[in-house]
Amino acid sequence: MSETQVAKQVSDVVWEIPTSYKDGMKVPARMYATRKLLDAMDKGVIEQVTNVACLPGIVNYSFAMADAHWGYGFPIGGVAAFDVENGIISPGGVGFDVNCGMRLIRTNLRYSEVKPRIKEIVDLLFRLVPAGVGVKGPLKITQPQLDEIMQWGVKWCAENDLGWGEDASHVEEGGFIKGGNPAKVDPQAKSRGISQLGTLGSGNHYLEVQVVDPARFLDRNLASKFGLVHDDQVVVMVHCGSRGFGHQICTDYLRVLDGAMRKYKIQVRDRELAYTPFSSNEGQDYYSAMVCAANFAFANRQIILHRVREALSQVFHKEAEKMDVNVIYDVCHNIAKVERHRVDGSSRDLIVHRKGATRSFGPGHSDVPAPYRAVGQPVIIGGSMETGSYLLLGTEKAMQETFGSTAHGSGRTMSRTAAKRQVRGAELQKSMEKRGIYVRAATMDGLAEEAGVAYKDISEVVETMHIAGISLKVAALRPIGNVKG
Amino acid sequence: MVRSSFRFLPDIALADIAFLAKGETLETLFEASARALTEVMVDRRSVSAGTLKILEIKSDTVDGLLYDLLSELIVLKDVDSLLFKTFAVSISKDKTRLTCRAKGGTIDRERNRLRNDVKAVTMHLFGVKKTKGGFEATVVLDI
Repeated sequence: MSETQVAKQVSDVVWEIPTSYKDGMKVPARMYATRKLLDAMDKGVIEQVTNVACLPGIVNYSFAMADAHWGYGFPIGGVAAFDVENGIISPGGVGFDVNCGMRLIRTNLRYSEVKPRIKEIVDLLFRLVPAGVGVKGPLKITQPQLDEIMQWGVKWCAENDLGWGEDASHVEEGGFIKGGNPAKVDPQAKSRGISQLGTLGSGNHYLEVQVVDPARFLDRNLASKFGLVHDDQVVVMVHCGSRGFGHQICTDYLRVLDGAMRKYKIQVRDRELAYTPFSSNEGQDYYSAMVCAANFAFANRQIILHRVREALSQVFHKEAEKMDVNVIYDVCHNIAKVERHRVDGSSRDLIVHRKGATRSFGPGHSDVPAPYRAVGQPVIIGGSMETGSYLLLGTEKAMQETFGSTAHGSGRTMSRTAAKRQVRGAELQKSMEKRGIYVRAATMDGLAEEAGVAYKDISEVVETMHIAGISLKVAALRPIGNVKG
Repeated sequence: MVRSSFRFLPDIALADIAFLAKGETLETLFEASARALTEVMVDRRSVSAGTLKILEIKSDTVDGLLYDLLSELIVLKDVDSLLFKTFAVSISKDKTRLTCRAKGGTIDRERNRLRNDVKAVTMHLFGVKKTKGGFEATVVLDI
């Protein structure tokens, strides 16, 4: 019997693994998937989503979204909420790339204007936004400035001529999460991060020029709420996180918590699930440091937006304001945040872990920016560089079912090593260019690893979440130019 | 000649990169692990060996020594832009202290055949095991 056959069908796209599946499960696990996606899920997802269900203080369910795949600790695509009084916080439920996330930027440019200049745009972005192994950004900041960024994120950028006043209001949490404490961040993490602001990194990170794709899907009414008013409107998508700064914070606290678990003889099925009570000193210290990394990541994506504005201005000889280069939204997809949710009829403060999962708050929620509050929060689902991405909408059903959460991307079906065996980077680059996608990559190996063939069908992932009602389709976005880390 | 080797594990943690390192001794296991980590970031044949860096690491466990050594190499890549070609590791008798003499050079984007920017060493499946032929370690790197 394959691992996924232990799941019982709850609805068309919801599957449940009961607590009887594994000793120690405190809640059932729930997976969002079509039958096809479920069958294609690797064994690591089942193992990991049920491991998470064993953690103390978990509320309702351990979730795996439709893009779930084998990660470390939590599955990628995992969501779990814990009581703030009696529950835990786990760095493995956030990931090393704290506040890895997506930013979607609209323009008023049309495909016909951008197509003849796409090479120029991508080449310039490739130069302005460093990508690849060990890259450093051109922005020179001091240690006190880094401390401010840890606390104020996008707000610091706007005050330092790296953004516009209204940018922050279109970012999750208004561009910074409260509670960042630089004193809880080790100097080594600061050394790693201080020169990396405004850089893309590598792996699956990218900076992509896209066009609204009505052939795949477009709800014109909803799209217009986000400023997408033309069928061939050009947007820019940014996917990156907190760089070495966040990676080091996670590394440091994972070592601390791993030691504490051994000291107190607490067993977990995966050392990456090392945890501490959220209310403990260690839990509060990790949270404060993690918030610093999250705010750094918000600032990183903001600085990249600034470079996008510079690049478009340079290419089109126009001010960015005149091209309406504005943030549609910016979402975290590797994060733990304190949020209030209704559980069994009462409101409770929970520490919600989303690892490769996106917040999907519905209409009327006070955390949704005012211009979007009547319809719901924009949700950005990043696809592979070959197949495109989606803009979705948060829903009330997500608030009721998944602590306001949905998927974050396509989800891999093939390892990096396997992808490299199957695809040659240089050939892929040429083939993509023939299909109208101009790519600049830091390395050809990295490009091959991110080939579309290594990912699930994003449309099926998005459709699953749409059918489930935890995020609704707004617009499909087709890549035309890509800077690959 | 004391032998050591590593191989990548393609079916573990799909978005990341895992390897299994082996060594007849703990020292050679650690050297193989450091080489495997570096090969994920760069083709080591393209790295110069002109700079010597001596790393001193302390930990109360063997796992901790390996985790901290690999993590330190990632930090050096980001902070000092250093990638290494060779590693010579010695470990104290009580297995709580390690010295690694790493020879490498500053990242050269023209000369180095760069690969992935490793974010971190995860604890998923992580550990050093004693085997019939010596020692082995499974390591999953976050990419």
